Amino acid sequence: MKRLAPALGLLALGFVLVACSGGGGASNGPAVSADPNAVTISAKDLKFSTDTLTAKADTGFQIEFDNQEAAPHNVAIYKDSGFSQKVFVSEPVGGPKTVTYSVPALAGGTYYFRCDVHPDMKGTLQVQ
Amino acid sequence: MFPRSAARPFTVADGLIRAGIVGLVLGTAYIHSTLGGLLFTLNATGYVVAAAAMLAPIALASRLRWFIRIGLMGYALATIVGWAIQGPYYSTAYIAKAIEIALIALVAVDFVRFDGNPVAKVRREMTDGLAWLKSRRSEPAGA
Repeated sequence: MKRLAPALGLLALGFVLVACSGGGGASNGPAVSADPNAVTISAKDLKFSTDTLTAKADTGFQIEFDNQEAAPHNVAIYKDSGFSQKVFVSEPVGGPKTVTYSVPALAGGTYYFRCDVHPDMKGTLQVQ
Repeated sequence: MFPRSAARPFTVADGLIRAGIVGLVLGTAYIHSTLGGLLFTLNATGYVVAAAAMLAPIALASRLRWFIRIGLMGYALATIVGWAIQGPYYSTAYIAKAIEIALIALVAVDFVRFDGNPVAKVRREMTDGLAWLKSRRSEPAGA
Protein backbone atom coordinates (compact mmCIF):
# COMPACT_ATOMS: atom_id res chain seq x y z
CA MET A 1 0.00 0.00 0.00
CA LYS A 2 2.92 2.31 0.66
CA ARG A 3 3.72 2.10 -3.05
CA LEU A 4 0.27 3.42 -3.83
CA ALA A 5 0.79 6.80 -2.18
CA PRO A 6 3.21 8.27 -4.76
CA ALA A 7 1.03 7.04 -7.61
CA LEU A 8 -2.04 8.61 -6.08
CA GLY A 9 -0.07 11.80 -5.52
CA LEU A 10 0.88 11.97 -9.18
CA LEU A 11 -2.71 11.31 -10.18
CA ALA A 12 -3.88 14.16 -7.98
CA LEU A 13 -1.20 16.40 -9.46
CA GLY A 14 -2.47 15.63 -12.93
CA PHE A 15 -6.01 16.60 -11.96
CA VAL A 16 -4.83 19.80 -10.33
CA LEU A 17 -2.67 20.85 -13.26
CA VAL A 18 -5.44 20.18 -15.75
CA ALA A 19 -7.91 22.09 -13.61
CA CYS A 20 -5.57 25.02 -13.10
CA SER A 21 -4.42 25.29 -16.69
CA GLY A 22 -7.89 26.27 -17.79
CA GLY A 23 -8.35 28.86 -15.10
CA GLY A 24 -5.45 31.16 -15.84
CA GLY A 25 -7.52 33.87 -17.48
CA ALA A 26 -8.95 36.15 -14.91
CA SER A 27 -12.01 38.20 -15.71
CA ASN A 28 -10.90 41.34 -17.42
CA GLY A 29 -13.31 43.90 -16.19
CA PRO A 30 -15.31 45.97 -18.60
CA ALA A 31 -13.91 45.60 -22.11
CA VAL A 32 -14.93 48.61 -24.13
CA SER A 33 -13.51 50.11 -27.27
CA ALA A 34 -10.63 52.43 -26.52
CA ASP A 35 -11.05 56.09 -27.26
CA PRO A 36 -8.22 58.08 -28.89
CA ASN A 37 -7.52 59.81 -25.59
CA ALA A 38 -7.13 56.58 -23.68
CA VAL A 39 -4.17 56.30 -21.35
CA THR A 40 -1.94 53.47 -22.50
CA ILE A 41 0.38 51.38 -20.38
CA SER A 42 1.93 47.96 -20.75
CA ALA A 43 3.61 45.43 -18.48
CA LYS A 44 6.57 43.20 -19.25
CA ASP A 45 9.28 41.54 -17.13
CA LEU A 46 7.41 42.57 -13.99
CA LYS A 47 7.70 46.26 -14.92
CA PHE A 48 5.27 48.83 -16.20
CA SER A 49 6.23 50.63 -19.42
CA THR A 50 6.00 53.95 -17.61
CA ASP A 51 5.93 55.25 -14.07
CA THR A 52 3.98 58.39 -14.98
CA LEU A 53 0.48 58.63 -16.44
CA THR A 54 -1.59 61.73 -17.11
CA ALA A 55 -5.34 62.14 -17.47
CA LYS A 56 -7.88 64.92 -17.71
CA ALA A 57 -9.60 66.06 -14.53
CA ASP A 58 -13.34 65.67 -13.95
CA THR A 59 -13.72 63.50 -17.03
CA GLY A 60 -13.96 59.75 -17.16
CA PHE A 61 -11.14 58.18 -19.11
CA GLN A 62 -9.98 54.83 -20.32
CA ILE A 63 -6.83 52.89 -19.56
CA GLU A 64 -5.66 50.60 -22.30
CA PHE A 65 -3.55 48.05 -20.50
CA ASP A 66 -1.38 45.65 -22.49
CA ASN A 67 -0.06 42.81 -20.36
CA GLN A 68 2.72 41.32 -22.47
CA GLU A 69 3.59 38.41 -20.18
CA ALA A 70 1.94 35.42 -18.55
CA ALA A 71 2.16 36.77 -15.01
CA PRO A 72 -1.12 38.43 -13.97
CA HIS A 73 -1.09 42.20 -13.57
CA ASN A 74 -3.62 44.94 -13.04
CA VAL A 75 -3.67 48.70 -12.82
CA ALA A 76 -5.06 49.92 -9.53
CA ILE A 77 -5.31 53.63 -8.70
CA TYR A 78 -5.03 54.94 -5.16
CA LYS A 79 -5.36 58.37 -3.64
CA ASP A 80 -2.34 58.01 -1.39
CA SER A 81 1.24 56.83 -1.85
CA GLY A 82 0.68 54.24 0.87
CA PHE A 83 -1.86 52.56 -1.43
CA SER A 84 -4.57 52.36 1.21
CA GLN A 85 -7.30 54.55 -0.33
CA LYS A 86 -8.60 52.83 -3.43
CA VAL A 87 -9.94 54.95 -6.26
CA PHE A 88 -10.08 52.37 -9.03
CA VAL A 89 -9.15 48.71 -8.93
CA SER A 90 -9.25 46.31 -11.85
CA GLU A 91 -9.06 42.53 -11.85
CA PRO A 92 -5.56 41.18 -12.55
CA VAL A 93 -5.28 39.63 -15.97
CA GLY A 94 -2.79 37.09 -17.27
CA GLY A 95 -1.22 37.82 -20.62
CA PRO A 96 -0.42 38.31 -23.28
CA LYS A 97 -3.64 40.25 -23.42
CA THR A 98 -4.84 43.82 -23.84
CA VAL A 99 -7.77 45.08 -21.82
CA THR A 100 -9.43 48.46 -21.60
CA TYR A 101 -10.70 49.84 -18.32
CA SER A 102 -13.10 52.73 -17.85
CA VAL A 103 -12.02 54.91 -14.98
CA PRO A 104 -14.58 57.27 -13.47
CA ALA A 105 -13.94 61.02 -13.44
CA LEU A 106 -11.30 62.06 -10.94
CA ALA A 107 -10.69 65.43 -9.36
CA GLY A 108 -7.42 67.12 -10.27
CA GLY A 109 -4.37 66.07 -8.30
CA THR A 110 -1.75 63.40 -7.93
CA TYR A 111 -2.79 59.78 -7.65
CA TYR A 112 -0.73 56.63 -7.39
CA PHE A 113 -1.08 53.46 -9.41
CA ARG A 114 0.38 50.01 -8.99
CA CYS A 115 -0.07 46.37 -9.84
CA ASP A 116 -1.75 44.84 -6.80
CA VAL A 117 -0.13 41.45 -7.46
CA HIS A 118 3.36 42.95 -7.68
CA PRO A 119 3.38 46.09 -5.51
CA ASP A 120 6.87 47.03 -6.72
CA MET A 121 5.29 47.89 -10.07
CA LYS A 122 4.04 51.39 -9.39
CA GLY A 123 3.93 54.99 -10.56
CA THR A 124 2.06 58.26 -10.33
CA LEU A 125 -1.04 59.43 -12.17
CA GLN A 126 -1.31 63.16 -12.72
CA VAL A 127 -4.90 64.28 -13.18
CA GLN A 128 -5.11 67.86 -14.43
CA MET B 1 10.26 3.82 20.78
CA PHE B 2 8.97 3.83 17.24
CA PRO B 3 6.52 6.60 16.52
CA ARG B 4 2.92 5.66 16.03
CA SER B 5 3.15 6.57 12.34
CA ALA B 6 5.85 4.00 11.70
CA ALA B 7 4.01 1.23 13.55
CA ARG B 8 0.66 1.87 11.92
CA PRO B 9 -0.29 0.06 8.68
CA PHE B 10 -0.92 2.32 5.68
CA THR B 11 -4.53 1.96 4.49
CA VAL B 12 -6.35 2.95 1.31
CA ALA B 13 -7.93 5.86 3.18
CA ASP B 14 -4.46 6.99 4.23
CA GLY B 15 -3.37 6.84 0.60
CA LEU B 16 -6.32 8.92 -0.53
CA ILE B 17 -5.74 11.52 2.17
CA ARG B 18 -2.04 11.67 1.32
CA ALA B 19 -2.87 12.02 -2.37
CA GLY B 20 -5.32 14.79 -1.55
CA ILE B 21 -2.68 16.61 0.46
CA VAL B 22 -0.12 16.34 -2.31
CA GLY B 23 -2.68 17.41 -4.91
CA LEU B 24 -3.66 20.47 -2.90
CA VAL B 25 -0.02 21.36 -2.20
CA LEU B 26 0.88 21.14 -5.87
CA GLY B 27 -2.27 23.04 -6.80
CA THR B 28 -1.39 26.06 -4.71
CA ALA B 29 2.28 25.72 -5.75
CA TYR B 30 1.19 25.87 -9.38
CA ILE B 31 -0.92 28.98 -8.81
CA HIS B 32 1.93 30.74 -7.03
CA SER B 33 4.42 29.71 -9.70
CA THR B 34 2.32 31.46 -12.36
CA LEU B 35 2.35 34.80 -10.53
CA GLY B 36 5.96 35.70 -11.28
CA GLY B 37 8.38 37.43 -8.94
CA LEU B 38 10.82 36.04 -6.40
CA LEU B 39 8.45 35.85 -3.44
CA PHE B 40 5.79 33.84 -5.27
CA THR B 41 8.41 31.58 -6.86
CA LEU B 42 9.99 30.86 -3.48
CA ASN B 43 6.56 30.17 -2.04
CA ALA B 44 5.81 27.71 -4.84
CA THR B 45 9.21 26.05 -4.36
CA GLY B 46 8.52 25.64 -0.65
CA TYR B 47 5.23 23.92 -1.41
CA VAL B 48 6.88 21.56 -3.90
CA VAL B 49 9.52 20.62 -1.32
CA ALA B 50 6.76 20.00 1.22
CA ALA B 51 4.93 17.77 -1.26
CA ALA B 52 8.11 15.77 -1.82
CA ALA B 53 8.64 15.48 1.93
CA MET B 54 5.08 14.20 2.38
CA LEU B 55 5.72 11.43 -0.15
CA ALA B 56 9.38 10.56 0.44
CA PRO B 57 9.56 6.91 1.44
CA ILE B 58 12.96 7.25 3.12
CA ALA B 59 13.15 6.35 6.81
CA LEU B 60 14.11 9.81 8.02
CA ALA B 61 11.14 11.44 6.28
CA SER B 62 8.82 8.79 7.71
CA ARG B 63 10.25 9.27 11.19
CA LEU B 64 9.81 13.05 10.98
CA ARG B 65 6.51 13.09 9.09
CA TRP B 66 4.80 14.60 12.13
CA PHE B 67 7.20 17.53 11.95
CA ILE B 68 6.71 17.86 8.19
CA ARG B 69 2.94 17.98 8.74
CA ILE B 70 3.25 20.74 11.33
CA GLY B 71 5.65 22.60 9.07
CA LEU B 72 3.29 22.31 6.13
CA MET B 73 0.32 23.55 8.15
CA GLY B 74 2.41 26.45 9.46
CA TYR B 75 3.65 27.27 5.97
CA ALA B 76 0.14 27.33 4.53
CA LEU B 77 -1.10 29.40 7.45
CA ALA B 78 1.76 31.88 7.04
CA THR B 79 0.93 32.15 3.33
CA ILE B 80 -2.72 32.87 4.13
CA VAL B 81 -1.82 35.47 6.77
CA GLY B 82 0.66 37.13 4.40
CA TRP B 83 -1.99 37.32 1.72
CA ALA B 84 -4.59 38.65 4.17
CA ILE B 85 -2.22 41.47 5.06
CA GLN B 86 -0.92 42.34 1.61
CA GLY B 87 -3.39 40.93 -0.92
CA PRO B 88 -4.04 40.94 -3.81
CA TYR B 89 -7.71 40.14 -3.44
CA TYR B 90 -8.96 38.64 -6.68
CA SER B 91 -10.47 35.44 -7.98
CA THR B 92 -7.30 33.35 -8.40
CA ALA B 93 -6.07 34.40 -4.98
CA TYR B 94 -9.35 33.31 -3.40
CA ILE B 95 -9.02 29.92 -5.11
CA ALA B 96 -5.46 29.57 -3.77
CA LYS B 97 -6.58 30.45 -0.25
CA ALA B 98 -9.47 27.98 -0.42
CA ILE B 99 -6.97 25.30 -1.46
CA GLU B 100 -4.69 26.22 1.44
CA ILE B 101 -7.51 26.11 3.98
CA ALA B 102 -8.55 22.69 2.68
CA LEU B 103 -4.89 21.65 2.82
CA ILE B 104 -4.54 22.63 6.47
CA ALA B 105 -7.70 20.70 7.31
CA LEU B 106 -6.57 17.59 5.44
CA VAL B 107 -3.08 17.67 6.96
CA ALA B 108 -4.67 18.01 10.41
CA VAL B 109 -6.78 14.92 9.69
CA ASP B 110 -3.67 13.08 8.50
CA PHE B 111 -1.83 14.13 11.64
CA VAL B 112 -4.55 12.91 13.99
CA ARG B 113 -4.86 9.59 12.14
CA PHE B 114 -1.14 8.89 12.35
CA ASP B 115 0.10 10.67 15.45
CA GLY B 116 -2.97 11.44 17.56
CA ASN B 117 -3.25 14.68 19.48
CA PRO B 118 -0.75 17.17 17.96
CA VAL B 119 -0.01 18.82 21.32
CA ALA B 120 0.63 15.48 22.99
CA LYS B 121 2.79 14.39 20.06
CA VAL B 122 4.94 17.52 20.18
CA ARG B 123 5.34 17.15 23.96
CA ARG B 124 6.29 13.50 23.55
CA GLU B 125 8.86 14.30 20.89
CA MET B 126 10.34 17.14 22.96
CA THR B 127 10.57 14.90 26.02
CA ASP B 128 12.26 12.17 23.97
CA GLY B 129 14.62 14.71 22.44
CA LEU B 130 15.62 16.15 25.81
CA ALA B 131 16.11 12.64 27.24
CA TRP B 132 18.34 11.81 24.29
CA LEU B 133 20.37 14.97 24.82
CA LYS B 134 20.78 14.23 28.54
CA SER B 135 21.91 10.70 27.82
CA ARG B 136 24.49 12.04 25.37
CA ARG B 137 25.85 14.48 27.96
CA SER B 138 26.04 11.87 30.73
CA GLU B 139 28.16 9.58 28.59
CA PRO B 140 31.80 9.66 29.69
CA ALA B 141 34.11 11.56 27.37
CA GLY B 142 35.88 9.34 24.88
CA ALA B 143 33.48 6.46 25.49
